[in-house]
Amino acid sequence: MQRCFHTGIAGILAAAFWCAAVVPGLCGPAVVTEALVTNQTGDSLSVVSLHDMKAVAEIAIGGKPAGIAISPDGSRAYLSAPEGKDVVVVDVAARKILRRIKVGEAPLGIAAHPSNGRIYVADWYTHKISVVDPAAGEVVAEIPVGDSPSGLAVTPDGKLLLSADRDSDAVSIIDTLRNERIGTVKVGARPFGITIDATGARAYTANVASDDITIIDIAAGKAIGTVKVGHRPYAIALAGGRAYVTNQYASTVSVIDTGSLETVAILDVGDHPEGIAADPAGANIYVACWFDNVLMRIDTSRLAVDGEAAVGDGPRAFGLFLR
Amino acid sequence: MLRTLVFGVAALALLPSFASAHGPTRQKVTEKVEINAPADKVWAVIGNFQDMSWHPAVAKLEGNGGNDANATRTLTLTSGGTIDEKLLQNDSTKMLYKYEISKVDPKVLPVNNYSSTLSVKDDGGKSVVEWKGAFYRGYMNNDPPPELNDEAAIKAVSGVYRAGLDALKTKLEAGG
Repeated sequence: MQRCFHTGIAGILAAAFWCAAVVPGLCGPAVVTEALVTNQTGDSLSVVSLHDMKAVAEIAIGGKPAGIAISPDGSRAYLSAPEGKDVVVVDVAARKILRRIKVGEAPLGIAAHPSNGRIYVADWYTHKISVVDPAAGEVVAEIPVGDSPSGLAVTPDGKLLLSADRDSDAVSIIDTLRNERIGTVKVGARPFGITIDATGARAYTANVASDDITIIDIAAGKAIGTVKVGHRPYAIALAGGRAYVTNQYASTVSVIDTGSLETVAILDVGDHPEGIAADPAGANIYVACWFDNVLMRIDTSRLAVDGEAAVGDGPRAFGLFLR
Repeated sequence: MLRTLVFGVAALALLPSFASAHGPTRQKVTEKVEINAPADKVWAVIGNFQDMSWHPAVAKLEGNGGNDANATRTLTLTSGGTIDEKLLQNDSTKMLYKYEISKVDPKVLPVNNYSSTLSVKDDGGKSVVEWKGAFYRGYMNNDPPPELNDEAAIKAVSGVYRAGLDALKTKLEAGG
């Protein structure tokens, strides 16, 4: 997660202070209240209230939405719709679609920059990342990367964009000022989801075909570790010094200590768990279970599933989906 | 000569690589049948990964590794095609097994990246058998031909599940 992880109320206050007073713009919100879940089969976006784990709205989207990013102020959701070949901009509070922006041939991974107003969209077929100005509704630049770029993540300081290039077994590192690839890092086979930690030091990729995750030292531009997980890992959330990895075919979440790289636990969740995200305090992890049409909540202190909400058909929630 | 070669390489580089990419939207199918027989009896018929004799479309099964994770089987269909499958997990306590297709010609079954779960649950002395599949369509690029599109994949998988479950019900309820 590109968010601060501390625990408890003191942690939330500390995170709020640190983010707002010390390094404005560096972190996401200190508290999140909603999950925005893209339902690919159901062609919709479910809004889930986190305090009672209930879906409070389902917005028709179209184009088979998969990826999601949220603006730094939380007001806009940007959804990738690969079959519509567009990015759908949603006014979250109003539960309304504001516009559709044509982007590439199969937009999938999507990420919002913390301060420059741009969003980045990975294209599964054209092997490029589009830089989109969502306010103007325009693609302002295209960045060639490796084959079938999938997950995207921006460092908390906004300087670098990382792309998991699935069919190149590599991660591209992109300078966001120049919109240019400045490096690549070899990772496991078929990296899909990618997540950067709150300090911007490390990135983690979920490697679908080698059933492992790769840990990248971003400044060094090098892979520094690999950890085996369950079958067909999809995405990763970070909280309290642990990585939580969804394993699609195993229907589990692997919990890994990011210091020792030991597996702490393997949690049973719903069938085909996919998108996963941590709240800013690191108290809860939310997992979209694609086959079972539920969003599950994991309590990180007990390492147990302690809540679930019914959502639309085929939830993917690929990206940072909490606001 | 050199020029031709360079041009050839450049042209190749411009071609999108579809080696392992797939269509953008994964599909799902769930089929169920209620059977008037206890769950353990039903599981005794379908719970062995190395026995698909209960399915009318399967003519022959050759396998390795029994019911351990990563066991394999090759199904030869009555229509002549084959499907290679790998067992991911067989949990006889929960009465379910999960498997994936490791190799199939799209002409035999028009799917990619297929995974599935077969399970039995007790329902007050009767049983409910559920067969679930997740897969991408047979054609890996945009704009698929009709025989390899999402609908064709869903129809084919539903057909396999339906034929198997209905035959299973008939077999078990006949007291077989």
